[in-house]
Amino acid sequence: MNGDPGHLHALEIRGLTVRLGGVEVLSGIDADIRCGEVTALVGPNGAGKTTLLKAILGMVPFEGSVRFCHAEEHGHGKPRIGYVPQRLDIDRDVPMTVLDFFSLSSQWLPVVFGHTRRSRESAEASLDRAGAKQLLHKPLGRLSGGELQRVLLALALRGEPDILLLDEPVSGVDVAGEELFCDFLGQVHSENGFGLLLVSHDLSVVSRHADRVICLDRRIVCQGATTEMLTPETLTAMYGSDPHLLRHSHVHGQGHLHENGCDCK
Amino acid sequence: MTESALIAPLLHLLGHLLPADMASLDFVKRALLAILLIGPAAAAVGVPLVHFRMAFFSDAIGHSAFTGVALGVLLGIHPLLTMVAFGLFVAWAIATVKGRTELSTDTVIGVFFSTVIALGIAVISARKGLTRNLQGFLYGDLLAVSDGEIVWMAVIACFVAGYLFLTLNRLLLLGAHEGIARAMRIRTRALEISFALVTALVVTTAIRAVGILLVTALLVVPAAAARNVAKSVASSFAIAVGIALLSGVGGLVASFYLDSATGATVVLFSSACFAATLAVRAVSSH
Repeated sequence: MNGDPGHLHALEIRGLTVRLGGVEVLSGIDADIRCGEVTALVGPNGAGKTTLLKAILGMVPFEGSVRFCHAEEHGHGKPRIGYVPQRLDIDRDVPMTVLDFFSLSSQWLPVVFGHTRRSRESAEASLDRAGAKQLLHKPLGRLSGGELQRVLLALALRGEPDILLLDEPVSGVDVAGEELFCDFLGQVHSENGFGLLLVSHDLSVVSRHADRVICLDRRIVCQGATTEMLTPETLTAMYGSDPHLLRHSHVHGQGHLHENGCDCK
Repeated sequence: MTESALIAPLLHLLGHLLPADMASLDFVKRALLAILLIGPAAAAVGVPLVHFRMAFFSDAIGHSAFTGVALGVLLGIHPLLTMVAFGLFVAWAIATVKGRTELSTDTVIGVFFSTVIALGIAVISARKGLTRNLQGFLYGDLLAVSDGEIVWMAVIACFVAGYLFLTLNRLLLLGAHEGIARAMRIRTRALEISFALVTALVVTTAIRAVGILLVTALLVVPAAAARNVAKSVASSFAIAVGIALLSGVGGLVASFYLDSATGATVVLFSSACFAATLAVRAVSSH
C-alpha cells in the first residue's frame, strides 16, 4: 500500500469488524502499523481501542484480516507480539516473584521446581536492560505502577517482538516514571525498529511520543501524521466540543516536544 | 481382589503413622490412604484455582454432583458415573459460556450454580425415596471408602500431577493476564477448558471423601492458607500440599477420638491451618 521502503508495515489491518453480542463494536477498520514508528491509537471511552488490541491478539473473533507483514517477510512464520497491558489480573498477595513470572514463559520445568539457569539469566538480562534488575526477587503484586510497567515492558521485549502493543502504558505512573519508561522504550525502539502501537487517551502523551495517530470511534475517524491529526477539527469530530480538551491539545499538540527529554522515537 | 492386593502393602505402611488402636482397623487405614491421595491433589489444583479467582467454580461443580447422583439413580446408572459425567459437563458449559459473554466469571458461575441445584431438587422431589441415596454424597463417608475408590483416587492424583506438570506455567501466566498469554501464543481457550475439566474430575472424586457441602474446602482452604505466607510459586505449592497432608492425618486421628464426622474434622484442621497462617502473616508484617 505504501511504497516507501523506509516504512515497512509491521501490521496490516483490513476490513476488520468485531461484533460482540450482536453489536458491532468495530466496523471496517483499515490501518497500518509501520516498522520503526510509534502509532498512537486514540479515541473516547467505548471507542473500541481495547477491542482492537484484543482482535490483534486473537482474543475476540473478527471479520477481515490482520496480517503481520514483518513476520511474514522475515520468514519466521508466526508473529512475535509484545504486549504490555495496563495492569495484571492478580491480587496484591499473589505468591509469585518477578523471576517466577518471567520463568512462566521461558522454561518447560514447572516453576514449582525452581528456575532453570537459562530462564534465570534471560530474566536478569531483560530486567537489566530495562533498568529493573533489582526487582528480580520482588513479589509481583507489590510492585508500584511504574515498576510493573517496566517489568511488563521488559517481558514483552524479551522475545524481540515484530510488533509491540502498549495499552495505556503510562496511566497510573508518575512523571518521573513516565520519563524513565519512555527513555528506555525510545532507546530500544530506535535500535530494533519494531512496529509500536500505543493506546492512549492522554493526548499530551500522544503528541509527544507518536509519529502517527489513528483516531478511532468504532470506525476509523482519521489517521495520519501526528502533527496533521491532532487539530481542533479532528478532536471535535471525535470527542465533541470540550473546550478544556481543545485547549489542552492546543498547548501540547504541536508534534514532538524534544526539549522535555521524553520522546519515544 | 487385585485392587486389595495393590493397596494392602500401602495400608500396612500407613499403619505406622497411626496410634496402635487405630492402626489395627483396616477401614481407618483405608480412609487415611484415601485422604492422603485426594487431599494433596485437591490442594494442588486449588493453587491455580485461587490464582484464577475461581474458588466459587469448584462449589458449582460440587453442587452439580447433587444433580448428577439424582440423575444416576433415576436412570438406573451407577450414581458415581453420572456424577462425574455431569460434573464434567457443567465444567465444560461454564468454561464455554464464560468465554462467549462479557459477564464476569462470578456471575456465570452463579447462574450455573443455581441452575444445577434447582435441577437436582426438581429431580429428587419427583422421585420419593431418592434422598436416602444422597446422604452419603452430601456429607461424604471417608470411612466407608472402598478399595476400588482408592485406586480411582490414586489414578486421579497421578493424572492431576501429570496435568499440572505439563500446564502449570501456562495456567499461571493465563491467570496473570489473558492478553499476555495470547501474545505468547498460548491456546488460552483450550487451556481454560482443560483446567475446568480437571478441576471437575478432582471435585467429583473428592466428594466421596468429604461430601458435596465441604468439597470446595479441600481445594480452596489449603491454597488460601498458602497465600497468606508464601512468597513464591514453589512455596505456595509446598505449603498447600503440606497443609493437605497434615490436616488429612490430623483430622482423621482427631475424628477417631472425638467420634466426629471425618471429612468435616479434616476440613476443620485445614481451617485451623488457615488461621495459623493468618497469625504468622500478622506477626511477620510487624
